[in-house]
Amino acid sequence: MEPNTKNHKPKLKLAVYWAAACGGCCVSVLDVHEKLYQVTELADLVFWPIALDIKYKDVEALPHGFIDVTLFNGAIRNSENQYMAMLLREKSKIMVAYGSCAHLGGIPGLANFSNREAIFDRVYHTSESTVNSTGTIPLPNVEVPEGTLHIPVFFDEVKPLDKVVCVDYYLPGCPPQTERLLEVFTAIATGAELPSKKSVIGAWDKTQCDECERKKSDKKTIKRFFRPFEVEDDGETCFLEQGILCMGPATRGGCGYRCIKGNAPCRGCYGPPPDVHDPGAKMMSAIGTMIDSNAPEEISEIVDQIADPAGTFYRFSLPASIIRRRIS
Amino acid sequence: MEEPRIGVYVCWCGTNISKTVDVEQVTAAVSKLPHVIIARNYKYMCSDPGQDLILKDIREHQLNRVVVSACSPRIHELTFRKVLVNAGLNPYLFEMANIREQVSWVHDDRDIATGKATSLVKAAIQRVAHHEPLEKRRVDIHPATLIIGGGITGLTAAMEIADSGNQVHLIEKSGRLGGMVSLLHQTHPHLTAGNELIQPLIDKAQPHPKVRVWLNSQIEEVTGYVGNFRARIRSGEEVEELDCGNIIVATGTKPFDPSQIPEYGYGMLPGVITSLEFEEMLRKGKIVTKDGESPCDIAIIHCVGSRNMEYHPYCSRVCCTTALKFANQIRAALPDAGIYQLYADMRSFGKGCEEFYMRTSRRGVIFMMFDQKGKLPVVKPNNTGGRGRLLISTRELLSGEEIEIPADLVILMVASEAREDARETAHLTGISLCGNQFFIEKHPKLDPVATTTDGVFIAGSCQGPKDIADSVSQARAAAARVLASILCGSVEVEVTTAVVNDKVCCGCQTCISVCPYHAIHFDEEKRVSEVNEILCKGCGTCGSACPTGAIHARHFTDDQILSQIEGLLSPITLKAMEMAMED
Repeated sequence: MEPNTKNHKPKLKLAVYWAAACGGCCVSVLDVHEKLYQVTELADLVFWPIALDIKYKDVEALPHGFIDVTLFNGAIRNSENQYMAMLLREKSKIMVAYGSCAHLGGIPGLANFSNREAIFDRVYHTSESTVNSTGTIPLPNVEVPEGTLHIPVFFDEVKPLDKVVCVDYYLPGCPPQTERLLEVFTAIATGAELPSKKSVIGAWDKTQCDECERKKSDKKTIKRFFRPFEVEDDGETCFLEQGILCMGPATRGGCGYRCIKGNAPCRGCYGPPPDVHDPGAKMMSAIGTMIDSNAPEEISEIVDQIADPAGTFYRFSLPASIIRRRIS
Repeated sequence: MEEPRIGVYVCWCGTNISKTVDVEQVTAAVSKLPHVIIARNYKYMCSDPGQDLILKDIREHQLNRVVVSACSPRIHELTFRKVLVNAGLNPYLFEMANIREQVSWVHDDRDIATGKATSLVKAAIQRVAHHEPLEKRRVDIHPATLIIGGGITGLTAAMEIADSGNQVHLIEKSGRLGGMVSLLHQTHPHLTAGNELIQPLIDKAQPHPKVRVWLNSQIEEVTGYVGNFRARIRSGEEVEELDCGNIIVATGTKPFDPSQIPEYGYGMLPGVITSLEFEEMLRKGKIVTKDGESPCDIAIIHCVGSRNMEYHPYCSRVCCTTALKFANQIRAALPDAGIYQLYADMRSFGKGCEEFYMRTSRRGVIFMMFDQKGKLPVVKPNNTGGRGRLLISTRELLSGEEIEIPADLVILMVASEAREDARETAHLTGISLCGNQFFIEKHPKLDPVATTTDGVFIAGSCQGPKDIADSVSQARAAAARVLASILCGSVEVEVTTAVVNDKVCCGCQTCISVCPYHAIHFDEEKRVSEVNEILCKGCGTCGSACPTGAIHARHFTDDQILSQIEGLLSPITLKAMEMAMED
């Protein structure tokens, strides 16, 4: 009997790892629900700390390139994140930056507006809920009678995954849409032709507005910025034309514009379209042209209405942007 | 993209650059940079041997990118782009670093200047590596010409163009043609009557079948682009739109109001008049004081509002010779009158003018110099009962003596200044203004009547104070430029325009309202923005407004600009900045 090559195709070895992230990405993998059975039919999960009890030493023991695909979520915040990124890179054929944090730095990346010293001061000394009469802060190495205790080194700066290891693909989103994950996973598992290395997958080149069905015109003039709760959204008109900041124009489509469909402006988690180096700067530049005034004083009054501009425009992308971090 | 092979050329500009910038050090510093195949320095890069050096290197070393680090690109970018074309390269594979106006002319410290020059050259090298070849396009030229201003400049240009059989629309704001020249009794140095110069032109223009004269008319709006302008013109209540291929702006100047200078008492003392008021008096045929009496002493004060930092820093160019002309006219009319020229510097340049000065000085005219930078002469009523209704006190500079000059009539040689509507005219036609509100030419030496807006030319004293001969030369030059473009039938247009990548454009329409040239429209079917590349001037506003990165401003792409910034902020620059901070 001829062996059925199709049935004998070896199963993919898949790893999912969680670095500086909230855990939502790992949950989004679980969101495949009953399709998890399809996944496990095509792939063996060899490492997935949220679901399987496999230790780092087990990963260290794997041969180089043993894992076919690693979905790495989370940014690089400390030495443990960095070590695991490097270890998994060594063990994996395809490294996917999965989700906004691995892709661009994500929400943890907003810490780059601060630094280690200021973060430690806030968390361990000055925060309203802190009780720390001895002024203790975490140190990477601490001598105790039993020996030396080690904890990961907290870096001064948060980095996206591709700043520490070579990344093959980026699957953006906070978290990525489960449908997109399945499409990508199926493509890899079935040996379909993959896009060129370094590209963003599971997302479109066009931005949110292309799909968004709200009414848009060339009358994007803003006299006053509103936070979503300050104005009654008519549910039909472009958010920007109502004075509500929406990152949609500077954010890749692919999520199905779910936030906008739910009447909430886009926050930008899918990251910038190709050719945009710095989505925050791009969006600020666009917003600058919409402000409906030529009087410098009035312009600054209007701009002052934007609550937390840095956190709004760079919500997911600060560590991957041109400004990247606070310098001192 | 092919691997960049860059040639870098650092110019000494004689000693202009090399006295402040160590050109050898700049050359050495950039010669080892990635993609730099050859780096040289030379005394005058813009000279023929300098250009040949580049040409030869392009051929010998198969260069595909060139950086010249010399003067402002406004002066020689085109020169060097032509070298690339002659060598078979696309002219846009070139970048210029300005180390003269931006470095050697503004710094004294050789180390800082050399560091800054190196950084600018590095920035240019990094940028040029990302340059892409761009192809020139042509558009048809509408044969009609719009001329704004019906003075001698506008009329001369109009006749030159109309006589060749092409339609001219001559727009004049006032109710008459002839401008300033028709106000002049005689002109210097030949004492030809102003009317004799201007009237034949007016008589010829008015009935000319190819000239349409619009009196009491003003331009309200100009849209379009070289070869295809559309102007909206208002005459009283009526508004008409007309098409034209080229525009000549010849709006002239206006006289300075001397009542701003308290020392001269203009407007307060009846015997003090302006040079133009004196012209009017001459045209009426009688030199008289306010009371109708013949003046015994006449003083002429020069540089009123000119060459004075409080009013206008520039020389108005025509006043000295006009003042000499006045002296001759006064002497002819009043053989016994005392004539006093109070001057700051006698500037009788121009053909026949120095001779005119010599002749005038032999006709009993007294020349006295005052210090324009010190205390101005003071004109006041003469209460002593002695000679002259007015007395002018001044320190005569050559003798150093404080003197008083009696005068019954004081003529103020008022400056020539930009018209109050110069800014509006500039805005309508897309011209830039200099600090003195005169229009700026494309190149001060090599392209004096063109502007940075293709198809818009300037001529005469709207560009800066000018005498009749210079204005007429410019009028004919502008007419020649217009006729050349009409004859050619089409014209090359700028290629550094914006372009929309419709694979990325999301249809948000942010770009449409920001375009100052109305060059972008929204394609409802494709749901993307589109740029009319002929209307587009490549200003880049849409590119910076576009949140998706779909709009590229050709030759000013994000990649090009960011690499330029990277080059600029590389360690050499930071070192130079630190050194500057320490000082």
